Amino acid sequence: MSHIHIPDGIIPFYLWLPGYILTFIIIYLVIKRSSNEQVKRVLPFTGIAAALMLIAMSVPLIIIPVHISLAVLTGILIGPKMAFLVVFVVSMILAMFGHGGITIVGLNTLVIGSEVFIGAMLFKRLAKNNLVIGTSVATVMALIVSMSMMVAIIGTYAGFAEVLPHDAVEHAGEEHLDEGNHDDSDLSEVVSEINYLAFSGWIALIMIVVAGIGLETLITVLIIRYFYKVRPDLIETVHGFTM
Amino acid sequence: MHIAEIDNLSLNGNSILHKSGTISKVILTLLILISIIISKDLYRLSGLISIVLVLFVVGKIPIVQIGHLALYPALFSVFFAVLSAQQGWVAGLVIIFKAVGAALTMLLLITTTPYVDVFSVFSLFMPSLIVDIFLMTYRSFFIIADRLNNLLTSIRLKGGYKPWQIVLNFKTIASMLGTLIIQSFEMSERMYKIYELRGYSGRIPIRTDLKPVSKIDFLLCLAGMIILTGTVIPWKI
Repeated sequence: MSHIHIPDGIIPFYLWLPGYILTFIIIYLVIKRSSNEQVKRVLPFTGIAAALMLIAMSVPLIIIPVHISLAVLTGILIGPKMAFLVVFVVSMILAMFGHGGITIVGLNTLVIGSEVFIGAMLFKRLAKNNLVIGTSVATVMALIVSMSMMVAIIGTYAGFAEVLPHDAVEHAGEEHLDEGNHDDSDLSEVVSEINYLAFSGWIALIMIVVAGIGLETLITVLIIRYFYKVRPDLIETVHGFTM
Repeated sequence: MHIAEIDNLSLNGNSILHKSGTISKVILTLLILISIIISKDLYRLSGLISIVLVLFVVGKIPIVQIGHLALYPALFSVFFAVLSAQQGWVAGLVIIFKAVGAALTMLLLITTTPYVDVFSVFSLFMPSLIVDIFLMTYRSFFIIADRLNNLLTSIRLKGGYKPWQIVLNFKTIASMLGTLIIQSFEMSERMYKIYELRGYSGRIPIRTDLKPVSKIDFLLCLAGMIILTGTVIPWKI
């Protein structure tokens, strides 16, 4: 759900370059700490997980102006280390198709990577007691952290108004052309233009965020529950516990 | 996604750009991309977009067929354009032109160069594991998209989709995705065994042509350098 869609040439280099550097450092550490045998075994499924993420992130949800990412699910299924590499590859492929700029790939990998890492780690701790509650808490917490990171990154440079779900804002392009500055009053004005179902303003924004998190969590929980019924060995192998 | 469409154009295209080396095209793309990122006035950006459009014509790429993909970043850049419009409408347009220009440049590369070749260039500076994941993702995408399509058809035929029954539909979708992932996992296990039998040792061998081999490759690199130089030097009209 957390994915920065800013095109190239907008975010300054002092923001995206550290993003790339940090991403490559993490990739280096992940590769260094993974054994060749382990990598060989999971590589084909890693490609499949990446393809699933790619499909999920390419399909806009019509009922909510966001898209799901299945990042937490990927982290649970293949483990956070390999999932971080998957996130980098998916972000790069999406950027090649104009879904977010090439320069933003590093920052996007860090944002979605945090979702993967926190989701998988919390799942490992919580799911052994109760699968549904553990998966739900892991997904919700991971999404909140990654969305906060996204808001912090975009908000620092472009103002917090840019983090809002753009599809839900009406006439923003027309009405802001003559404004003097974009501070708190600008944010309030953009928020007031958000419409979702019968609601508008902050309530509509909160509803969109809650609906997005709820939908991603629901899909993740249902898939994990189904997965656990049919092939529990797959999850148990990755996370090292039995229920 | 329009991967199949783009793949078809890059593999079956017959133009000077399709025949030229991958590295020269990647260099040209990078130089144009840098030019677009550093450009700050509308004239330069218009010129750069015009050059990219001319390259589309040279590459015999039907811009109408894939041009709509460049509108996606344009839509997202509108909000930044609105913020910059405080400094005048030109500043806003510059942001939109940058987004469209960068997207068109990337589209030019991927519609004139097969995916595998682009990834082979990645192997020069990226770890082999990442390149392997790129190749696996590309291969898996088509298989999964095809299976997803078949599953959706069979769900509809068997009455698994009922309008207005949201909970039932969610459960069906989750079961469908679960089935898809499990089938994919089993497929990946078979793939691993096949790879092992064929001598897979943790790295998929892909070949990269390191040197530009033809005059066209040199011309493409030269064109890229001229474009970048033309962007950097101040023009007095």
